[in-house]
Amino acid sequence: MPKTEMPSGALVLLILRVLRSGALHGYAIAQRIHVLSSEVLHVEEGSLYPALQKILLKGWVTAEWGISETNRKVRFYRLTPAGRKQLEAELSEYGRVNEAIQSVLRTA
Amino acid sequence: MNQLFRRLRYLLHRRRFDRELAGDLDFHREMAQRTGAPLGNALQLREQARDAWGWTWIDRFSQDLRYAARMLRKSPGFTFAAVLMLAIGIGVNVAVFGFFDLLVLRPLHIRDPATLLRFHRRAPDNYAFALPYPEMAFFREHSRTLSAVLAMNTTKLAVEGEAKQIDVDFVTANFFTNLGATPLLGRLLDPVRDGSPGADPVVVLGQGFWQRHFGADPTVVGGPIRLNGKLATVVGVAAAEFSGLSLNATALWVPIAQQPYFAAGSHLLTDYSGTSGVRMWGRLQPGVAPQAAEQELRSLAAELRKQHPDEIWEKEGLPSDPGGFAQSMIAGNRSGTGSEGKSELYPVIGMVAALGLLILAVACGNLGSLLLARGVAREREIAIRVAVGAGKGRLLRQLFTESLLLALLGSIAGVAVGYVVLRALMTATEIPVWLNPTPDWRVVAFALAAGFASALLFGLTPALQAARQRHRATIARQFLVGAQVAASCVLLIVAGLLGRALDHAISSNPGFEYQHVLSIDPGLALHGYSPARAQAYMDTLEGRLRALRGVRSVALTLGPPLGHRSEIAGLDIDGRAVRVQINRVDPQFFQTMQIPLLRGRNLMPGEPRAVIVSASLARGVWPSQDPLGKKFSLGEDYTIVGVAGAARLVKLEDSDSVEVYFPLAQADLPAASVLVRASAAPEDLARAVAATAKSVDPNTFPEVELMKTGFRQKLRGAEYSALTVSVLGSVADLLACLGIVGVVAYAVSQRTREIGIRMALGARPAHILSVVLRQFSRPVAAGLLVGVVAATALSRLLRGQLYGIGNLDPTAYLGAIGIFAVTVAVAALWPARRALRVDPMRALRHE
Repeated sequence: MPKTEMPSGALVLLILRVLRSGALHGYAIAQRIHVLSSEVLHVEEGSLYPALQKILLKGWVTAEWGISETNRKVRFYRLTPAGRKQLEAELSEYGRVNEAIQSVLRTA
Repeated sequence: MNQLFRRLRYLLHRRRFDRELAGDLDFHREMAQRTGAPLGNALQLREQARDAWGWTWIDRFSQDLRYAARMLRKSPGFTFAAVLMLAIGIGVNVAVFGFFDLLVLRPLHIRDPATLLRFHRRAPDNYAFALPYPEMAFFREHSRTLSAVLAMNTTKLAVEGEAKQIDVDFVTANFFTNLGATPLLGRLLDPVRDGSPGADPVVVLGQGFWQRHFGADPTVVGGPIRLNGKLATVVGVAAAEFSGLSLNATALWVPIAQQPYFAAGSHLLTDYSGTSGVRMWGRLQPGVAPQAAEQELRSLAAELRKQHPDEIWEKEGLPSDPGGFAQSMIAGNRSGTGSEGKSELYPVIGMVAALGLLILAVACGNLGSLLLARGVAREREIAIRVAVGAGKGRLLRQLFTESLLLALLGSIAGVAVGYVVLRALMTATEIPVWLNPTPDWRVVAFALAAGFASALLFGLTPALQAARQRHRATIARQFLVGAQVAASCVLLIVAGLLGRALDHAISSNPGFEYQHVLSIDPGLALHGYSPARAQAYMDTLEGRLRALRGVRSVALTLGPPLGHRSEIAGLDIDGRAVRVQINRVDPQFFQTMQIPLLRGRNLMPGEPRAVIVSASLARGVWPSQDPLGKKFSLGEDYTIVGVAGAARLVKLEDSDSVEVYFPLAQADLPAASVLVRASAAPEDLARAVAATAKSVDPNTFPEVELMKTGFRQKLRGAEYSALTVSVLGSVADLLACLGIVGVVAYAVSQRTREIGIRMALGARPAHILSVVLRQFSRPVAAGLLVGVVAATALSRLLRGQLYGIGNLDPTAYLGAIGIFAVTVAVAALWPARRALRVDPMRALRHE
């Protein structure tokens, strides 16, 4: 099955969403998205890290040092209050658009 | 806001952030490897991720900059030549801008320059830059928008130990305190002690005068000084850095309340007629706009007019200029009827700026050719860079960075060159010390902007050519040669015109004879003479002068030729507006100045409405009619009774200036001067004339001047400008020639093989030369043509400065083109000779 590409806006939303339940390192974010999407969505490092840098710049997450499951010192990304607010906003926006699209698809 | 902050923090800790990112990616790859997923290029990934912070350009730029610096260091000869050319081109413009900055942009070194306004009088039919003292005093008393009013009257006084009379600035006692000046020695004027007419007479010295006259002796403070024979005390010395709101380095300041004490009989403080008057400045109250002050003064003037309907003009207003800039001092004491002429400052500066830009254009053109040639030499390097994956944009950026670096070096050197040039010019022209030519931030910003603009000019085309890997840069090079030729041609022609004008001014007859004339200014108005007393004085003086041996004739005039006093009127003649130089003269004037009466008759006593016009005015206004008997109106109706030869008595340099002579009325006599024509050398007569004038009234201090001296002073400005433009023109010519030497030499070296073949086949030297030079003859010819056309357009601005030669003077044009043609021919032939020395065998074997 070909890998499904994601629009970058959606990737940001997914990253914020998987970070809601707690801090994760970069690889874990990619893994979590992969697993939760039933292995449909692939997050390449070439899009994950630029997206993370962008989110860092916006101040939606902060990076802090932690120890990985392989006992390495890596950076964990944690949602900030601003990021939480952004997530809520994006979620409701996404829900609204999705609902609209769905209703068109159903009735047209 | 926060985002910007984070971005800046990133910039500061770039290395750490980068390391952390690398750590993240490493870990990711380590984990991914376990699952056997494919991996990307780590370095590229990192760069992509870093892009989010928006600072990547800095890395690239600093990389380019380092590379550019290395390239320039590797060819020091090229770098030196390029920076030198730019330094000359930018430096000339920095000097021009620096001068403009000093006059117009840079606030004076006084307290709170923004709230100082300079006022002058204007009504629909009149304007004057000086106010009657009592009018100023009325404004000072009643204005609510102004917190203080400053005034100054400049009068020439005799000072012991000085051969000539000296300009003394009589100022209101608040002058120094309000402007925030501090003394160099002793004290300055003080409103409490020096404000009243009864106060002890005191004098403040200018630093220059103190050094020149007193040898910088500090003990003169507190000592006596005599002005016009009247005793006063020196109370202090003002530092040379203080402008004194005057472009002439002021020698002496005296409280204006004491002016009548020094100038016996003066009515300055009570006289509404405005024959002398004061320059007026006002300080705005905090928060008040200049318009509000103007409005208030306009209504105050209307109120004052009720009491003085003859002296205060109808609808008189007092427009203001910002007083905190040197520019506001240029207006001086002009006055006249009709609307005032436009400022002469901007056209002159514009003209000089245009010439300066031409120099820069030549320098850029030159450098452009050099870079093109260098671009060809660097083909190999560029080809390699393309081969290893450099994109066109990246290559262009890198080449242009080199140009930017050159431009920056050129700007820095240009600021230094500009400072030196400006300083030298200012020392030569005796501009006061307080105009300090040290570059300020505006000058530096200008130099950087000029450098950037030149980098675009000289750097972009060669960079484009090289980045596209185009090998044929011939067209661009030809264009650059043409542009240089055009620009330097303009400069040479303008230099030629100015030189010719100067030569013409010295050698030709200006329409009157000045070599044997002396002028005497008895300064009667200053001493409070009434017209009737002045009449008696003049009658006596004229009688005694005529009795002197060696005096051929004596005349009276209000405005001595070549003097500083000029009256300009806007006349309405048959519905046409004509600006004329007005003089008021007695009937002996024309004989004394040897101005021929071409038609009609002389003025006669008892004819106050008869006038004589110059032939130039008659020709201009009534080209095909008889001007005699024509009338025009200037308050009253005047009838033309005679036509005199054109004689530009005041504006020697302006061939368009025309004159009208009105009869001198008795009311004019207190301000009139006496002209004396000597039959032999006037120098021998000067002493006797001065003694005679003094003998009529010992209380006066008549000033005797040789008209020759005035003429020489008038020409000094023309000498400076001719010299300056000649230097500029030579520099441009030299630059253009250097450029041509460069491109021709390059062309020869490129075509060695072809020349060898032609020689082997029996081509003659002349033929070889024509082959080499043909590609340059067309751009040179085109540049010459464009240059001549541009010069004709530009020189129209100069019309008023050419002392009577036309702005299309053929001698100047042909001379300039001749000089240019010869230098260019030498510049082209000298390197082309090498083509003739090509050895065919060696040239062919070379390949």
